[in-house]
Amino acid sequence: MSPGASYDGCVPSIVVDNLSKTYRVADKDPGLRGAVRHLLRRQHREVKAVRGVNLVIEPGEVVGFLGANGAGKTTVMKMLTGLVHPTAGRVEVLGHEPKRRRAALLRQITLVMGNKQQLVWDLPAGDSLRLNAAVYGIPDTEAKRRTDELCEVLGLGRDKELSQPVRKLSLGQRMKCELVAALLHHPKVLFLDEPTLGLDVNAQTAVRDFVGRYNAQHGASVLLTSHYMADITALCKRVVVIHRGQIHFDGPLDDLTTRFAPERQVRVELAEPVGAQGLSAYGVVESVDGRAATLRVPRDSVPAAVNRLLSDHRVVDLTVADAPIDEVVEKLFAHADAQGDTHADTPPDAGLAEPRP
Amino acid sequence: MSAWTRRLRAFFGIEYALMLTYRAEILLWAIATCLPLIMLGVWTQAAESGDFVHGPAWMARYFIAVFLVRQVTIVWVIHHFEYLVVSGRLSPQLLLPVDPVWRYAVAHLAEQACRIPIVAVMLVGCLLLFPAAWRGDATVGPWVPGWGALVGGALACMAAFTLRFLLQYTFGLFAFWLERVAAVHELVYLLILFLSGMVAPLEVFPAAARDAVLWTPFPWLVWFPAKLMMGEPAPVLRGFVTLGVWIVALAVVNRVVWIRGLKHYSAMGA
Amino acid sequence: MRRYFKTLGLFWAVSVSAEMAYRTNFLITSLTTLLTLAGALFTIGLLFQNGHTPGGYSWPAALTVLGVYTLLDGLQQSLLAPNRTALTEHVRDGTLDFVLLKPVDAQFWMSMRRFSPWGLTDVAAGLGLLGYAGWRLEISPLGALSGGVAVVLGGVILYAVGFMLATLTVWFVKLYNITIAMAALLEAGRYPIQAYPAVYRTFFTAVLPVAFMTSVPAAALRGEAGAGWLLGLAVVSGGLFAASCAFWRFALRFYTSASS
Repeated sequence: MSPGASYDGCVPSIVVDNLSKTYRVADKDPGLRGAVRHLLRRQHREVKAVRGVNLVIEPGEVVGFLGANGAGKTTVMKMLTGLVHPTAGRVEVLGHEPKRRRAALLRQITLVMGNKQQLVWDLPAGDSLRLNAAVYGIPDTEAKRRTDELCEVLGLGRDKELSQPVRKLSLGQRMKCELVAALLHHPKVLFLDEPTLGLDVNAQTAVRDFVGRYNAQHGASVLLTSHYMADITALCKRVVVIHRGQIHFDGPLDDLTTRFAPERQVRVELAEPVGAQGLSAYGVVESVDGRAATLRVPRDSVPAAVNRLLSDHRVVDLTVADAPIDEVVEKLFAHADAQGDTHADTPPDAGLAEPRP
Repeated sequence: MSAWTRRLRAFFGIEYALMLTYRAEILLWAIATCLPLIMLGVWTQAAESGDFVHGPAWMARYFIAVFLVRQVTIVWVIHHFEYLVVSGRLSPQLLLPVDPVWRYAVAHLAEQACRIPIVAVMLVGCLLLFPAAWRGDATVGPWVPGWGALVGGALACMAAFTLRFLLQYTFGLFAFWLERVAAVHELVYLLILFLSGMVAPLEVFPAAARDAVLWTPFPWLVWFPAKLMMGEPAPVLRGFVTLGVWIVALAVVNRVVWIRGLKHYSAMGA
Repeated sequence: MRRYFKTLGLFWAVSVSAEMAYRTNFLITSLTTLLTLAGALFTIGLLFQNGHTPGGYSWPAALTVLGVYTLLDGLQQSLLAPNRTALTEHVRDGTLDFVLLKPVDAQFWMSMRRFSPWGLTDVAAGLGLLGYAGWRLEISPLGALSGGVAVVLGGVILYAVGFMLATLTVWFVKLYNITIAMAALLEAGRYPIQAYPAVYRTFFTAVLPVAFMTSVPAAALRGEAGAGWLLGLAVVSGGLFAASCAFWRFALRFYTSASS
């Protein structure tokens, strides 16, 4: 499919064509001598953080963006929002070139980062919300209505969480307030970079449900990165996997599993214990714990194996599941690395191009 | 090599490397401390008229000496310490088996070392711009500092630096109890600025003002080392005694406040 | 446009309410202002000894220069310095991202976002000095008005130079001393430009436009500025403002939005 092509005649929200970003990083030896030498003769090397990425995202689509630390996820996201200027290639978001930062575009997009916050630390979140309303030119009554609506869904109280200084909120409450601030102007494209980072399970679920609901209600496109695969599986039908600056997979989440996890997990609970030896006839034994065991069985032979298990033993409980998605992605990376003399010029620590806090 | 010299050398190495990474900062610092050069312009121009006790050559020489004194007595520990306390980064430093004051003092020396090239360029520029400062004119002879001037000037500069450091650090320690101690210290700095001889030599002060100011520690921080560097007669004994007494007194106060401050800090849950 | 004013109002209300938490600051800054003023008057007084007139200025004429300096120093403390600090912080923490994504001009935001009431004592002191000098010199209301415009242009120069310096943080990240350096540069504007030797006059006019920040606006207030100087003031201030905008846009191309 060529970039810019559209399904059903509708215009894509995001079109990325052969996008690349090269950073120059300074090389410096440690210690006093290294510092002085660096001062006298600066050495730089180029790190290709993103290399020839193509991507099309349609309105209303929720896309999971997967990749290890330093794979180039954040750099791509920052180029999509216009924060980082591309070295080469073309980006179009809602028909605009993001790096020009036209108000017409900025009014329609938003960025949420799990490790950075836009709310003013020492003031109640409500003040920051009022500020955003003014910045986006949302009339007071409308802003109030939207705030109430968003807060209700997230379980935030106008007189509770919103009127406390942000620093006094828990991490989960803070992220919920961040979301309200980020969505107050009803953006059409959402860039969510690790929005659930460090949250507890309840808060994670709340954030996830909220994003899904917003997507359904407003038909907004969402590009989501997360280290928690539950976020991805709950929200994204489509995933894009980036590794060392290149896209290695772009398609339905289900395809990812079938392609890179040809085996399924069969969990059984038996009436009496059977050793690992006895079970190895049905598949690769992953673990045995008394009467419970986990087996790995090739996708095609699952029905046969289950049939034999049921007839050979007294089975109390049996479930068949896909391998955990993190394992699938890990496999994919290994697969990409094995393929890849094409990226011999990228040093293994290319992640330095995106310094972490 | 004793453990102490090793420690201090290690401190110096790391601080120097750190300071080199801040070289843009240090350039700004050097600009920030050019006030003596501004005053150099104002006072040489004023002295051209012959309305003052000294001529332009003397004025130029005085303010170049003041510029050097200022450069080697720059202290910023209060800003650093305030930041450490407020941000909570002091705590890990307290776990080390060395009093952190040594680290701060060495950091100042490392920062000065980084500034040497900039200062050298500025100094040469001034000497070229005001050749009368070293050549002399009808009223003053050439500037040939003898051993007495060099050693005396260097000692006075070290004493002035020590006193400035102790003064700032002692004020800085109140960050354990108060917010914005740096702003309070700014008031002290203003006194140093106007009364130390940095904006005008004590020689042009009215006699009564000069006598009064000499009873404060301020002129001994700038005017006194500058006079020694110029090789001019100066109240050497009174100068060093004043500096010494203030240093000892502040050192004592500093330790008392430090111990109390630590108690307070740990009580607050560091 | 209305949206900008509304935003600005909110910005300042928020900053002032945050600053009001430090009430002892009012005492400290008032004392600082008084002490600085006393020191400056003392120093200039030293220059006026033995019948000397620095640069041929009369005492009230020298006070107009000091007045404009004090006014600009207050502006710097209230508006310019807090925003420069905020800019360096935003770049360091990577939260500039959020500002860049707002549909408001980012330079406007980064220059006006914060307001600290603590420079207002200096603004008041500067206005007081100018009022006194204006009364002594019998400045006409029309002269005061045109002088006021000139002072604003001087402020624009101060802003533009400082903003360009602060923009350097995009490359250097750590630039906390900008405020100190800017204050030191402005310091030269405490004294009339004519009180300096020729080399300094050239430097402060052509290289570092300190003369255009204080001496020229002060001369405009006294009605003594020639047309050439006023034109120079307008050109320098307009040019530097345009340069600050261009430099900001240029720097954003290199902003890598530190930390992922």
